[in-house]
Amino acid sequence: MEYLWHNICELFSYQKDAPMIFSSGIFWVIFLMFLPIYAALKDKRKQMLVFVVAFSLYFYYKSSGLFFLLLVCTSLLDWTLSRVLVKLRSKAAQKLCVAVSVVTSLSILGYFKYANFFLWNWNEMVGGNFQPLDIILPVGISFYTFQSISYIVDVYKGRVQPTSSWLEYAFFLSFFPALVAGPIVRADYFIPQIKENRSATRDEVYFGFWLIILGIIKKSLIADYISQYNDLIFSSPTGYTGFESLMGVIGYTMQIYCDFSGYSDMAIGIALIMGFKLSANFDFPYKSTNLTEFWRRWHISLSSWLRDYVYIPLGGNRKGTARTYINNFLTMLIGGLWHGAAWKFVFWGAMHGAGLAVHKASKPWLDRLPNNWLVRSVSWIVTMVFVSFLWVFFRADSWTDSWLIVKNIVTNFNFAYIPVFMQVRYVWCIMMAVIMVAHAVPSRWWTSLGNIFVRSHWVVKLVVFVVVVQLVIQFMSEEVSPFIYFQF
Amino acid sequence: MNKTYKGFWLILLVSFVLFFTLSAFDSFKIGGMELKTSGMIDRLTRVPEGVEAEIETEQVSASVVEEKKPRVIDETPQTILFVGDSMLEGLYPRLAAYAAENGHTLYSVIWYSSTSEVWGNSTKLAEYIEKCKPTYIFVSLGANELFVKNIAEKRDKYVKNILSQIGNIPFVWIGPPNWKPDTGINDLVAKNVKRCENGSFFVSNGMHFDRAKDGAHPTRKSARAWMDSVARWMPANAAHPIKMNLPKVETAKAKRVFMHQPNEK
Repeated sequence: MEYLWHNICELFSYQKDAPMIFSSGIFWVIFLMFLPIYAALKDKRKQMLVFVVAFSLYFYYKSSGLFFLLLVCTSLLDWTLSRVLVKLRSKAAQKLCVAVSVVTSLSILGYFKYANFFLWNWNEMVGGNFQPLDIILPVGISFYTFQSISYIVDVYKGRVQPTSSWLEYAFFLSFFPALVAGPIVRADYFIPQIKENRSATRDEVYFGFWLIILGIIKKSLIADYISQYNDLIFSSPTGYTGFESLMGVIGYTMQIYCDFSGYSDMAIGIALIMGFKLSANFDFPYKSTNLTEFWRRWHISLSSWLRDYVYIPLGGNRKGTARTYINNFLTMLIGGLWHGAAWKFVFWGAMHGAGLAVHKASKPWLDRLPNNWLVRSVSWIVTMVFVSFLWVFFRADSWTDSWLIVKNIVTNFNFAYIPVFMQVRYVWCIMMAVIMVAHAVPSRWWTSLGNIFVRSHWVVKLVVFVVVVQLVIQFMSEEVSPFIYFQF
Repeated sequence: MNKTYKGFWLILLVSFVLFFTLSAFDSFKIGGMELKTSGMIDRLTRVPEGVEAEIETEQVSASVVEEKKPRVIDETPQTILFVGDSMLEGLYPRLAAYAAENGHTLYSVIWYSSTSEVWGNSTKLAEYIEKCKPTYIFVSLGANELFVKNIAEKRDKYVKNILSQIGNIPFVWIGPPNWKPDTGINDLVAKNVKRCENGSFFVSNGMHFDRAKDGAHPTRKSARAWMDSVARWMPANAAHPIKMNLPKVETAKAKRVFMHQPNEK
C-alpha cells in the first residue's frame, strides 16, 4: 500500500509507452468520472465546451505529453486566420490566409512525421552520413492536421461559417473521441452539431454503448489476439511454411480491419453517448467486389477527405480520361504517404492508385458482364487477393521481407499442414472464423442486433459488457502457439 | 445526473467495482473454468520501477552474476536440450545458430504459458531427457510467474523437482526478462540453482529489452541479443561452459522442436 499514491499519480500522468486509448482500462476509469460532470454541464453550453476541451487536452496530454500545447497553438492560429479570412474582401488576401494556415499545418506535420524520411532519402542520393533526428511523433497529428485543413478550406469556400469563439473551434479540433485515430471529422458536418448542442436520447446512449462493445470485441479481443500469430509470420518470413505464411497474410488482413474499425466503432460510440454524430468510417469493406467499392467502404473519412481536398482540386474527372487516372493515382500516393513515412506506404498507395485506374479503365467492359453469382464471386476473390497482397507490403518491415513472404507462399505451400495447423491453432482459427462470418452476414442484421441490445433490460446489458471485458482479460495474456518448423 | 445517462453510468460503475474487487485474487473459478482477473489492485500496489523491492526470499542474484575466473571450456560437441515457455520462440533460433556454428545438436521443447509449477508437476522433462539424451540443458522459465504472491512458498518444491529431473546433466537456467519487478521468482530459482554444482543461473532481470507488442516478450532482434548475452556470460560464469563461438548466421533451425499447449498435462 505504500506505493499506492505514487501508482495512482503515475496512472493519471503522461506515460510515454502507455498512450491513453479506448481499449485501456485507465480510459474507462477516467470516463466514469467524466460522464457525470458532462451530463451535469450538457445544458450549459459554454461550461460544457470548456469542460470537454479541457478534458480533450488532458486526454491528449496523457497520450502525447506536452505536445498538447502544439494542438492549442495550431487551433489558435487556424481560428485567428479563419476570423481574418472572412473579414477580407480581396480574394488574393483570402487565399493568402488559407495558404498560411495550410502550409503551417503541413509544415508541422512534415517536420514531425516526414523530416527523417526526407533527410534519409536526401542522404541516400548525396551519399551523406545520416543520423536520424530525435523526433517524437505526436499521436494523432495526421488526423487533426487534416481536420484543420478541411476547416480553413471550408471557411474559404463558404461551406461553413467560422466559429464565433476559439472554444468552439478547439472543441472541433480536439474532440477526444476522434482525436488520436479518427474518424477524420469534417467541419461542415461537426461544427453545426456544436452550435446545436443537442442532448443524446436514451436510445443513442445505448446504441453508442453497443458500438463500444462491438469495438472492444473487434479491437481488444480479436485483433489483439490474432496479431500475435501474424507478428510471428512477419517477423520471421522464412521461418514458416507457405501455408502458415498465407494464414499470416489473411490474418493480418482481418487484423487491420478489426483493429482500425473496432477503434472507430468505439470512437463513434463514445461521441454518440455525448450527443455527437461522427460519420461512419468502415462499411464492411471486405464485401467489396472491386477496388473502387473497397475505397468507398474502407477508412471512409480519409478517402472522402482525399477525394474532396486532393482529388477534386487536382481536377478530378473533369479534365479527360488520362488526367482522371493521374489524379486518382496521385491522390492514392498521398493517401499512402499519409499512413507513414516510408517507401512501403508510397508503394502501397501507388499500387492502389494503379488498381483503381485499371478498374476505371476496364469498367465499360466489366459492366457488360452478367451480374450473376459466379461473376460476383470471381470479382470478390480478385479484389480480396489484390487487397491482401498489398497488405503484405504495408505490414512487412522491409521490401525484402515482403517478397520473402510472397515467395514462401508460392513456393513452399503444402496442403498437409492444414489439419495440423487447425489442431494446433484452433483458437486463432475460431477467432478468424468468427470475424469472417460476422463480416459476411447482411449488415442489417447488425443494426437489428444493436436495436435489440438497446431495448434489452439493463441486467442484460451489464452481463454482455462484463462477459466481453472478461473475455478480453482472459485472452489478453493467452499466447498464440506458433507453428515454427513443426515436424509431424 | 439526468436520467438518460444514469443507467449507462451505473452499468459502467457496477462493472468497474466488480472487476476491481475480483482483481484482489490471482484468478477465480466458475464451473471448473479458471478465469483471470484484471490486475487492477496489483497495478495500484506494485513496487514502482527503480525502487528496490523488499523481497523476503534470499537475495542471491548479485552473487550469481559476480565475476568469476574463466573456466575450462568443454570443446566437445554437445547434444543440447532447451526447455521452457514461449520465451524460447525468440531464444532458440539463436541458440540453434550457436549450435550449428559449434558442432552441437539442439532439441527445443516449447510449452506455452508454462511455469515452474507446470514443469515441476509433470515428468515431461525426464521424458525428453530420456528421448533426446542431452549432454547439456538450457532452461528458460519464470516469465509466467513473475507476479505470483508468496512464490517462494508456492513454487519451491516445483523448482526443486525440475532440478532433480535434470540430475547431473550440466545446465544453464536463463532467468525471465522482467518487464516489471517480480515477487521473487528470480531469487527462488537462483537460490536453488546455487545449490547445484552442475548448473548456473543467468539473471536476465535488469537487462534492457525491446519488447514485442504484448509488452512482455522481447522482439526477435532483442531475443537474439539476449541469447548472445548468455553465450558471452557462459565462459566465466557457467558451472560447465561449452564451446559457444559467435555464429556467422543470425538464426538456424533446431534439429527438432517439440511443442505443448498451455492446457496439456
